[in-house]
Amino acid sequence: MIEEPYRWLEAIGNRREYVREQIKGGSPVFGASLADGILLLGVGSGNSKVFELFDRHALVGLGHPADIEKIRQAAIDAAHMEAFTRAPEDVSLRRLVSFGLSPQLKTNFEQIFSAPFLVELLLAEVGAHPENDLLLRLHFDGGFKTHSKGAVVVASQPDPETAAQSWLAQALADKADRGQVADLMLQAWWCLTENKSLAENPPSEDERRAGWRNAINGKIVEIGWLARQSQRQARFDMLTLNQVGL
Amino acid sequence: MIDTAPIAGDFLSLLAARHLSPIRADSSPAAPVQTQATTVFAFEYSEGVLMAGDRRATAGNLIVTDRVDKVIEIDATSLLAIAGVPATAFEMARVLQTSFEYYRRSQLQPLSLPAKVRALARLLRDNLPMTMQGVGIVMPLFAGLNHAVKPAKAQIYFYDPLGAQFQAVGYAASGSGSGTIRSILSFQERYGKPKPQAMSLGEAVQFALRLLMVASEFDSATGGVSPEARTFATIKVLREDGVRTVDTEQQGQFLRA
Repeated sequence: MIEEPYRWLEAIGNRREYVREQIKGGSPVFGASLADGILLLGVGSGNSKVFELFDRHALVGLGHPADIEKIRQAAIDAAHMEAFTRAPEDVSLRRLVSFGLSPQLKTNFEQIFSAPFLVELLLAEVGAHPENDLLLRLHFDGGFKTHSKGAVVVASQPDPETAAQSWLAQALADKADRGQVADLMLQAWWCLTENKSLAENPPSEDERRAGWRNAINGKIVEIGWLARQSQRQARFDMLTLNQVGL
Repeated sequence: MIDTAPIAGDFLSLLAARHLSPIRADSSPAAPVQTQATTVFAFEYSEGVLMAGDRRATAGNLIVTDRVDKVIEIDATSLLAIAGVPATAFEMARVLQTSFEYYRRSQLQPLSLPAKVRALARLLRDNLPMTMQGVGIVMPLFAGLNHAVKPAKAQIYFYDPLGAQFQAVGYAASGSGSGTIRSILSFQERYGKPKPQAMSLGEAVQFALRLLMVASEFDSATGGVSPEARTFATIKVLREDGVRTVDTEQQGQFLRA
C-alpha cells in the first residue's frame, strides 16, 4: 500500500493528526530569555515538565512522559559525551538538535509502522549575553525553529500556540522580573488550558490571575532558571513560586 | 560475552559502551620523569570542612609551575584534593565531575555520598597497574556532604593508592608535605586554642595558610605562601549550603587579620 506516493502522504497526514489528537490535553509550557537568564515554566506533577540537560542547557516539554524521557535521556547522554570527549564549552544546543535530536525525530516520524514520539518540546541554552541565548522549538516530526530573544510557547495545537506567543511577546516587553514573567506565563497557561482566546477579547488580567491561582491547586508549578552569571558551571536551578515572589 | 549496555545513570558504563576508557593505560619502563603535585589537606572547622592545597608542581628537582589548582570542585557538594601525578589526578577529577553531574541530571537525584566515595575508589583501583609500576600514583582527599543527617554534614575521606577509602576524624593530609601538616593539625586538635573545629572561617583560612608556610620550609615540593608576591593557596570550603571558594583577595585579608 505505502509503495504508492499518495498512500504514503496520506499515512503521514494521518500520523500527524494522530499525534496532535494524542497530545491535545497536554499542559502548555513556556520559555523566555530575560536580562539575567532564561526562565522556563510548566505546570505538572514535579519532575515532569522542566529538566536540566547540561551546564547551560535545559528542556521543557509536553506529551507522553515516556517519550519526553527518551528524548531527555538521549540529549543528556549526547551532551555529557560531548563535554567529556571535548569540553563542556563545546556542548551547543544547535548541534545537539540539528545533528542529533531532530534527525532522530524525523526518521521516527516517517517510519509509519513504528509508534511516533508524542512530544512537543522547547530547549534552551543560556549565553554570555542575552543576544547569545537560544530558545529552540522542536516539534514531534523533527522540525525546529530557533529564537534568540523573547518568549516561546509550546502548546499541543499550532493556532492557540501562535496566538499565545504573540500575546506573551507583547505582555513581556520590558519585563525583567522573574515573578512578573512567571505570572504572565501562568496567565497564558490558564487561557490555553481553558480554551480562552488570547487573540480576541482575552479575559481581564484579574480573571486570568485568579484563574491560574485556582487552576494550580493540586499541581506543581515547575520553574527552571538558567542563570547567565554564576560561580558554578551548572547554571540551572529549580525555583518555587515563592522564590520568584508569587 | 560482555554486556556493554550502559547502567542507568552510570557515566563510566556509557563510556565503556562507546569504547572509551578514560583512566586505564599501560606504562613504559622508559617513562619520562613524572610531574607531581603536593601538598593538600582538609580539616573540619566551625561551618564545615576547609580543603586547601599549595600550588606547586615539580618534576624531580625542577619546579614546573607554581600555579596549579589542586583543590577541585567536583560538584556543588563535593571537593577533591589531588596529590600525586596531576596527569592522572586531573583526569580522575574530570571523570568524577562528569559522572556525578550525569547521574544527577539523568536520574533526577544526586548521587549519595557513599557512592561518590566509592566512585573515586574505583578510579584508583583502575589506575592500579600504573600505581604498582610507580608511574601515575594518585593519593587524593575527598570531601562530600552527608545528606543522611540533618543538618547535612561535610565529611572528609582519604585513600591509599590501591583505592581503600577511610573516613577522616577531624582532618586528613596527603602529599610530600603532609607529614608536617598532620603533626601540626594533631597538635592543634589536642592542645590548640581554638581547636580547628571551633575556628571561624577567617581563623581557619589563616591557619591553613600558615600550615602551608610551615610545610614549605621542610619540603621543597610544597609551594609556599607569600603575600608580598601575591602567592597564595587554593582554598575551598564545603558547608551545608555547598562549596565556596576563598579567593586570593580574601586569603590576603584573612592572613593579615
